[in-house]
Amino acid sequence: MPAPANCSRIFSKELKPHVTEPASSPASVRTFDRSSNAGSGDGKTTVSPMSVIAARSNDAGDFSSEEHSHELSKLHGVKESSDFNDSNWAFTDSLLSLDYESSRDSSAKNADFNNEGKSMCDVKGAPIVTLNFNNLDNVDGDGNENDNEALVEEFSVTKRNKGLCYRCFKGSRFKEKEVCLVCSAKYCGNCVLEAMGSMPEGRKCVDCIGYPIDESKRESLGKCSRMLRRLLNELEIRQIMKAERFCEVNQLPPEYICVNGKPLSFEELVTLQNCATPPKKLKPGSYWYDKVSGLWGEEGQKPCRIISPHLNVGGPIKPDASNGNTQVYINGREITKVELRMLQLAGVQCAGNPHFWVNEDGSYQEEGQKNTRGNIWGKSGTKLVCALLSLPVPSKCSILCGERTSSPVSKRMPDYLEHGIVQKLLLVGFGGSGMSTIFKQAKILYKDTPFSKDERESIKLTIQTNVYSYIGLLLEGRERFEEESLLNIKKNQSDVLDSTGTISKKKTIYSIGTRLKAFSDWLLRTMASGKLDAIFPAATREYAPLIEEMWSNAAVQATYKRRREIETLPSVASYFLERVVEILRADYEPSDLDILYAEGVTSSNGLACVEFSFPPSAPEETVDTMGLHDSFVRYQLITAHARGIGENCKWLEMLEDVGMVIFCVALSDYDQFSTEGKGCVTNKMLASRKLFETIVTHPTFEEMDFLLILNKLDQFEEKIKQVPLTRCEWFDDFHPVISRQCSSNNKNSSSNNASLAQLASHHIAVKFKRLYSSITSRKLYVSLVKGLEPDSVDATLKYAKEILKWNQERPNFSLSDNSMYSTEDSSFSFTC
Amino acid sequence: MSVAELKERHLAATETLNNLKQRLNQTRRSLLDTDVAGYARSQGKNPVTFGPTDLVCCRTLQGHTGKVYSLDWTSEKNRIVSASQDGRLIVWNALTRQKIHAIKLPCSWVMTCAFSPTGQSIACGGLDNVCSIINLNSATDKDGNLPVTRMLSGHKGYISSCQYVPDEDTHLITGSGDQTCVLWDITTGLKTSVFGGEFQSGHTADVLSVSINGSNSRIFASGSCDATARLWDTRVASRAVRAFHGHERDVNSVKFFPDGNRFGTGSEDGTCRLFDIRTGHQLQVYSQKHSDNETHPVTSIAFSISGRLLFAGYTNGDCYVWDTLLAKVVLNLGSLQDSHESRITCLGLAADGSALCTGSWDTNLKIWAFGGHRRVI
Repeated sequence: MPAPANCSRIFSKELKPHVTEPASSPASVRTFDRSSNAGSGDGKTTVSPMSVIAARSNDAGDFSSEEHSHELSKLHGVKESSDFNDSNWAFTDSLLSLDYESSRDSSAKNADFNNEGKSMCDVKGAPIVTLNFNNLDNVDGDGNENDNEALVEEFSVTKRNKGLCYRCFKGSRFKEKEVCLVCSAKYCGNCVLEAMGSMPEGRKCVDCIGYPIDESKRESLGKCSRMLRRLLNELEIRQIMKAERFCEVNQLPPEYICVNGKPLSFEELVTLQNCATPPKKLKPGSYWYDKVSGLWGEEGQKPCRIISPHLNVGGPIKPDASNGNTQVYINGREITKVELRMLQLAGVQCAGNPHFWVNEDGSYQEEGQKNTRGNIWGKSGTKLVCALLSLPVPSKCSILCGERTSSPVSKRMPDYLEHGIVQKLLLVGFGGSGMSTIFKQAKILYKDTPFSKDERESIKLTIQTNVYSYIGLLLEGRERFEEESLLNIKKNQSDVLDSTGTISKKKTIYSIGTRLKAFSDWLLRTMASGKLDAIFPAATREYAPLIEEMWSNAAVQATYKRRREIETLPSVASYFLERVVEILRADYEPSDLDILYAEGVTSSNGLACVEFSFPPSAPEETVDTMGLHDSFVRYQLITAHARGIGENCKWLEMLEDVGMVIFCVALSDYDQFSTEGKGCVTNKMLASRKLFETIVTHPTFEEMDFLLILNKLDQFEEKIKQVPLTRCEWFDDFHPVISRQCSSNNKNSSSNNASLAQLASHHIAVKFKRLYSSITSRKLYVSLVKGLEPDSVDATLKYAKEILKWNQERPNFSLSDNSMYSTEDSSFSFTC
Repeated sequence: MSVAELKERHLAATETLNNLKQRLNQTRRSLLDTDVAGYARSQGKNPVTFGPTDLVCCRTLQGHTGKVYSLDWTSEKNRIVSASQDGRLIVWNALTRQKIHAIKLPCSWVMTCAFSPTGQSIACGGLDNVCSIINLNSATDKDGNLPVTRMLSGHKGYISSCQYVPDEDTHLITGSGDQTCVLWDITTGLKTSVFGGEFQSGHTADVLSVSINGSNSRIFASGSCDATARLWDTRVASRAVRAFHGHERDVNSVKFFPDGNRFGTGSEDGTCRLFDIRTGHQLQVYSQKHSDNETHPVTSIAFSISGRLLFAGYTNGDCYVWDTLLAKVVLNLGSLQDSHESRITCLGLAADGSALCTGSWDTNLKIWAFGGHRRVI
């Protein structure tokens, strides 16, 4: 192909100084520059900038320096040899692409190459040409569609110089060479590292990266040649071979495999390759597969293997799949003569062209009849016959594992899928919104071992420390109550009596003994100095009896009864304080429920994630392909601390690949207040709203779907009875209309209250939805959750899954179809 | 003393402090008669000139599948470790471009990585708030992965930056989103000292970058979201030696000047600055509009061995080479052939100064070095 561009691009070293070259091709631009530079710059005294960078230059190192000094040295008239030990970072990368070209059209010029004594390739001195695929296309005339195939084709044309290295045009047929897996270009040991670069997908030339491999070379995937072993160290080899075998591009393209006349989809191929007895050495081609018996063969051929039956791959089997002409049918396929002979030898009655129905265990019956006629594999001689006729016999494990393969969970994920289909869900929320509860719940729901032994141990310590701080808060409350009641007494008495000075020694129900008092003072001091973490988990054993004594103390119990008045005491504290004695024992082991209730288990590290896949739900759902797809999708739930998510958050952009943001709001926050850094008190609901706005407007999440979780519905239901929703200024306009009749007719107040809670939560949801659509003009998905109830969290996460799934399918529906789904309320799931 | 009274006094003290600061600044400004560029120009210095082959991309390291966030060279020059959002650390042989190790991390949101001075182990950290140490000599587990040999946990925010104390494989300084820097003892896994945090002189926002003085490893600098850089002495954890104001937005990157008496900063406000640690003065601002006439934040900076050149990566994919003396951009790597297609996130110079490595959001690392022919005299 004598393309015009190639004429000016000549690669051999006999190339005359480049100054003569026309500056037309992209190649010559640099060349031109360089030569002009060589003329003017190099000789002068100006400090070469690189000498600034490279304080010590000339350490001709471990790397063979590849200088392209020929042209330049001719220009300068300097001895070639002196130019060699310059720089280790010789220029190589951008030359790579030109090699294909050169190999194609310049073979004739290469004749006199071998008289050059240099070890390194002279081509390196060639002008810096970047020959990208556009150029290639131009050369080819067309081929915009599948330039890859064009590539492969072209290289098969260049067989005429197959003995030579494609890069340096040296060597002979007998010299060892490495072959590109895509385009079959061959490189000698000197050039292979240059031509193939960092080999992110194994042995491919730099320009072939990203293209599927030549199928004929599939066998050699991951098998390292001796040459590479010589060039690279063992660790490097291992990395390259691993990349070669497992990178996604190098996997067998599913559409190359036809089963029963239907090209496979990605999921089907995965199913096929990961069944208990997969077809061996799967190559592209057409196959037939008898789903009932597991027989497998190439189209038009006798069966060659028995694989796992009942795999949902390909279409229905055709009668002429194996091109038989015996008029005997097995599971709807006309069998071949060889098979018929086998059946006859196995003692199966085949007179009258019967149609057989053969199961995976070899039992067979005639079509339309009920009773089993016998078992093909029952006779001991059958397998021998099969071996003689080179027919497949069932492998042992296929029978044994038959049942197990049907459950997709037990399937091992293929390695290259490891980070293939992972849907990431980002869970964020204001502190105390219960998102860590949801996270823990997800862990408990979907993981076989939600918490490892080490984790449990550290959780135990966290819980124990927490309990001490709860006790501290309780004791603080006690002190306050004591003071208050003393004051009260004093007041009362000063009203009644004149002060005698003995009053202050009076005891109240909140007073404790001196020993406990000392402990309490000490504990409070430690808490105030913030050293609680340092002392406590370690000293648990020591203080346990004291705590026990204290807990049984009447004063403490009296304080505990008034725990609602201690604002800083979190609501979960009572769950632990009730069992304080048990928890502070050294042999205490937290239950899943304890962990669920515990604070600070996940927040100790800023970002936590859990990877899981939803267990297959109803069996009928897994039949359709989406259900099948489901079992391969892995989900990753990521929680991030709200702290630090500001306008200029440095790491939020790292989470741009999440599929959806789940924003968690505690419903019961509407009457809670938090003090922020500068001492201003804000309503927690409003703080949540502010965070919500920040995240929704963050550029990273611009196009992302949001699911709002309104958490702590259970607490909310309780609270709404006592505190009106209008306590939060955002919900000023909440005027629930509760029908009198309803309340009068229905004496059962609880149902009435539930409906109030429902109304209120809907109101909050609508508020958030309006806010969201005013910012993004999209729809906000909302879900009501009780974080402590597994079913509720499960339903919500499944809802999230559905949203993601729907988003993937959405492009498949036309706009008109959309109307069917577009409803204002459909996005609102009431999952409790 | 009542709370109200205390508050009043606090307010008064803050005001005095601010006044004093202002006066200090004014005095500084009045004393500052010139900057580096002005002086150099008056001395008749000429900017460094670059020939077309003096700095070219000569290697592309491909293999990450996510954005590259951080890189570091070994001291023995040819290995690079890079950290990417795909959750992997890759150790490259920079000369052959091959991967020596690909380490899958337990937490994939890694923001920083560093080689130990001996090149035997790697430290990395990220959003999991833990700095993980991986020994390259340890045996791989059954999946062929190198295990984490030590976890340095204790930060309450993400780990934004880490650097080993030179010549010591056992000490490491991290900067974190919890506004502190910590000096760690790796052998015990415990904090040796914490810089900032509860103390008044610490950073008031996330620490984004740390850099240890090459000539005096007790001194290190940190840059933060509070738009300041601070200088610390590892022997005195209680307070910062000095705070350097000047930047208008987050200081994304700090790097000590090779002579150890200055350090450079790169900021979200699109400028780089040079500060002198002895006087506390700002010596020079490096700021130039980009080709699209906008300012883009600086993500990372590095000095050449002599200090004459400052490399700065920008979010738009530009990488300027500044002449530090004349404050002129002498080369833009982003405009060269084979440059990155996306934001440059990290820069690093080989220990011998012979090559520059850049990492980018386009998942590649590129090595820039002298690509032409040099005469040997």
